[in-house]
Amino acid sequence: MENVKMAQTATPALGTKRKKFRIRKASKKQFSKRFTRSRAGNVFYFSFLTLAGIFCLLPLIYSIVTSFKPLDEIMIFPPKFFVKRPTIANYIALPELLSGLEVSIDRYIFNSIFVGIVATFLFVAISSVAAFSLSKGKYSGRDFMFKIIQYALLFNSYTLALPQYIILTKLHVVDTYWAYILPHMASTMGIFLMKQYMDGYVSETFIEAGKIDGASYLRIFWTIVIPIIRPAMLTLTLFGFQAVWAYLPGTTVYTETVKTLPMITAQVTSAGVARTGSSMALTVLMMIPPIVIYLATQSGVTETMSSAGIKE
Amino acid sequence: MKKKHTKGIEARKSRYGFMFVLPWLIGFVLFFFIPIIQSLVYSLSTVQVTGNGIATEFVGLEHYSYLIDRDPEYLKMLRTSVISFAYKLPLILVVSIVLSLVLNQKFKGRVFFRGLFFLPVIIATGVVMELVFKTIDSSSTALGVSDSITSNMFSIESIMESLDLPTQIATYIQTAVSSIFDLIWECGIQIILFIAGLQSIPASIYEASKVEGATKWEEFWFITFPQLGRITLLVAIFTMLEIFADNQNELMSSSYIKMSGGIYDESSAMLWMYFAIVAVIMGILVALYSKFLLKKWE
Repeated sequence: MENVKMAQTATPALGTKRKKFRIRKASKKQFSKRFTRSRAGNVFYFSFLTLAGIFCLLPLIYSIVTSFKPLDEIMIFPPKFFVKRPTIANYIALPELLSGLEVSIDRYIFNSIFVGIVATFLFVAISSVAAFSLSKGKYSGRDFMFKIIQYALLFNSYTLALPQYIILTKLHVVDTYWAYILPHMASTMGIFLMKQYMDGYVSETFIEAGKIDGASYLRIFWTIVIPIIRPAMLTLTLFGFQAVWAYLPGTTVYTETVKTLPMITAQVTSAGVARTGSSMALTVLMMIPPIVIYLATQSGVTETMSSAGIKE
Repeated sequence: MKKKHTKGIEARKSRYGFMFVLPWLIGFVLFFFIPIIQSLVYSLSTVQVTGNGIATEFVGLEHYSYLIDRDPEYLKMLRTSVISFAYKLPLILVVSIVLSLVLNQKFKGRVFFRGLFFLPVIIATGVVMELVFKTIDSSSTALGVSDSITSNMFSIESIMESLDLPTQIATYIQTAVSSIFDLIWECGIQIILFIAGLQSIPASIYEASKVEGATKWEEFWFITFPQLGRITLLVAIFTMLEIFADNQNELMSSSYIKMSGGIYDESSAMLWMYFAIVAVIMGILVALYSKFLLKKWE
């Protein structure tokens, strides 16, 4: 709706601006320049993007390269970017380094994957359903709630750490899987993106049609809304999984059998410079799941973000 | 909706709609709203962690006045944080607008590059990347070198040496490279938002301007920029939040260290005062922007 409005208001606005354009002869040469870019232009775009893109890739490449460095090459000064004698010793050492006193590495991997899947699923489900209600429901307090969500985006987890811990204690879920999952259910980013997407793409007429046919809200959501909001759900899956996967629960988890990979990664890293190779190897392995999920959900992400600016 | 006499179906339906938000609302109240209020209360009281729980005693604004009057460190950190807003915000906005304009062109490999610039968002926010930065930092300080991220990956000095260039300017180049690096790493979401905004501008406006003979430069200032108005506001707000909650922010990390050390009252006060100042700055900027620019464009 906003889009249509924008298009309507844009044309008169252009009319007033028109005076400011210098009127000039549009020769054929200029026209062709504007519609197809020259070869030099293409080269410029590519080199510009490649240069900037290298900065995005650098830490990734660096951690991969470093994970194959033997210890003496890690300690070398001045530092060299590339590895001379690659070794997989850092990776081979991992299972032993990561195993706790009585817990083997597969337990941590299982914990991480289990918590990741459950928390992501709950996060996407709860956010989508709530966003549906905030976008299409009609009850008092709806807009007020959305205002609060927008302000809540301001806060980060530092401020909340201790009070959250107290609440987790009162709920008797400290040191269980719930300590990982529950704090993520308060996230406002997901519900914000999802609501914006629904405002933009889920038309009121679909909902009305469903109502006339006598479908319940749950059925409308399941059969009409879900197919439309698929891109937004993919985006939320990515953000949710990424947050849970890297989550360090602080003091709320202390038993080895419920610890996840980030927690023991921190332990390996704190062991000192000698472990740099192995912690880099672990870092590389830890990056794989989020990147795979990103590649799988990539198409949805851009589309969802494009709706974020539709209103407000 | 105002209450009318028509109870029944409509009222039942609205209650049903509310049921959908309920699961989220419970989580929000428990793990966000109560903790936020709690932390505000902490900042106004003395907090003591005892064997059987937490004892708080209300002391009013004592911690705040302590921070302002007797903690020179805090004011210094506050100033650096506020100043970093002043230069980071425009820089990030300009870089992401430029990159999104380029990425919005039609060329081969566009999808690949778009994915590339979003990569930092995927890996940077997690503990994973924090570990990369941390290992780099700690190992470099152990060796007594500057703790910039790029300086540990490769030594510009030795590259310059091998190219027979003067090594004196190496430090400047190193600083420049690190700054560009930091900058681009903070632009991921902004670029995506801008690309999305660019795509929602109707092509007919550009066609009209072409007929009028506008240059690329005029096209940007009179069409693209005004049309991006709302998106720019959204991106600016998002960027401010990002700068505000940056983990590398000195103020954030020092209050976090205090918090881990068991000093909850003062660290909460540190964060709340910072938050209040940032909120005021943001409010002023947003108000000015909507009053003078958005109104003019729409």
